[in-house]
Amino acid sequence: MLQRKRKKASKLSRLLEIPNEVSGNEPKVVITGFNELIIENYKGILEYEDFYVRVNTYIGIININGFNLELKQMSDEAVCVKGKIESIDIETNMEEEER
Amino acid sequence: MVVKVLFYYIAGYIRITVEGYFIERFINICTQKNILLWNTKTIGTTIMKTNISISDFRKLHVIAKKTKCRIKIKEKKGLPFFFERYKKRKILAILLVILIATMIIISNFVWNIQIECDGEINKDEIQAILEKNGLKIGALKEELDTSKIARSIRYEREDIAWVGVSFKGTNAIVELIKAEQKPEIIQENEYCSIISDKEGIITKINVQNGTAAVKVGDLIKNGTTLVNGWLQGKYTGIRYVHAMADIEAKVWYSQKRRVYKTQNIEVSTGRQEKKYGLKLNNFEINFYKTLSKFENYDTIIETKKIKLFSDFYIPIELKTIQNYEKEKQMVTYTLEELKENNISQMEKEIEQEIGQKENIVNKQINFNEQDTYVDIEIIYEVIESIGTKEKIVF
Repeated sequence: MLQRKRKKASKLSRLLEIPNEVSGNEPKVVITGFNELIIENYKGILEYEDFYVRVNTYIGIININGFNLELKQMSDEAVCVKGKIESIDIETNMEEEER
Repeated sequence: MVVKVLFYYIAGYIRITVEGYFIERFINICTQKNILLWNTKTIGTTIMKTNISISDFRKLHVIAKKTKCRIKIKEKKGLPFFFERYKKRKILAILLVILIATMIIISNFVWNIQIECDGEINKDEIQAILEKNGLKIGALKEELDTSKIARSIRYEREDIAWVGVSFKGTNAIVELIKAEQKPEIIQENEYCSIISDKEGIITKINVQNGTAAVKVGDLIKNGTTLVNGWLQGKYTGIRYVHAMADIEAKVWYSQKRRVYKTQNIEVSTGRQEKKYGLKLNNFEINFYKTLSKFENYDTIIETKKIKLFSDFYIPIELKTIQNYEKEKQMVTYTLEELKENNISQMEKEIEQEIGQKENIVNKQINFNEQDTYVDIEIIYEVIESIGTKEKIVF
């Protein structure tokens, strides 16, 4: 039921060409330079250490590796990570892929 | 979010350390409850430093209990904490109030009068007029009527075209614009004759209207009538006219000077000393005790009003006294040196008097050497157009 509703909404938004991160729950990852990274539409932080940040989103998990990582600003809609970023990898949820 | 952080600086924020095994959970709960955390940093795996606002800090102990974290306050920042620190210092607050009160009281008076004018208007005379009308140092600003003062200046002085009086801070600015003095113009239909305004010898006279009273080669003095303002016919009698003529005359300008061969000259030795003092109306405080160590010296006293801002003068003056040491010397000059020193200076003075250099015809320098002094005379011969019109009064 819920899934169907979501699909309908995405159909409408596709028609109106509304970006995905606005209409749905898909995260938007913006990297500015190599030192700053902003993730919008995130769910929560799974792990947070000096060299490793694991951010949970609605469609998967984003891992950030680096040094001296700081959570510069944090609110319910966006998180800003600052520090020397070395690599980013993404783990997609299995159920999302099936859909 | 930047605006929010800036707002929290004004509202006050706290830097805390959170210690526990479930820091990530703690962060997630905070974001869920709309608590803003910023500048988060971990130290090791169990300790986290972060900033949080005061109002959000009160909600924090519930979350801390839930996640089994310990919270410690590290720093308190922002304006509320800043004021809190100075609350206990009562004397400082009282002094601050007194300072502000005196500033307000002082700003009601005029402490400086600035007269701005172009040209050579005597500032002391203007100041005297201003003082008569109540605008003086120490006057209450509210009691002064600027337009009335401006009117009274214009009433008393005819050579001023426009006066503006305005206050800027504790500074009264009086702006003056000088009126151009117009020569008395004699109308074309009025009768007049031409008289001389200089001494000289006539070189050219060309009468268009009227009767010439002098001829070429005549020696004229100041006030001699050059052209009479009437025509005389055999049968018509005397008919008065508006005299017009081109008259040129050779005019001499001369300058004499007696220069002594041995002169007493005071030469500055280059040594100087500076002294300071404060002046409050008529009350003076000097920061020095001793008299000057020089025997012969020139003194320059400068007083400067102290101002806080560009136009906020306060009634205290800073006085600087500069003493320049001097030495008396007897100098004997030769004739050549005297000539060199004086002639160019005299020439400049004469040329300033003449104005137009093209008209100079001849230049003569005379010397008369005596035992102790030399007389120098410089004569310039200049051809100038002369004559001013004067109304005929019946």
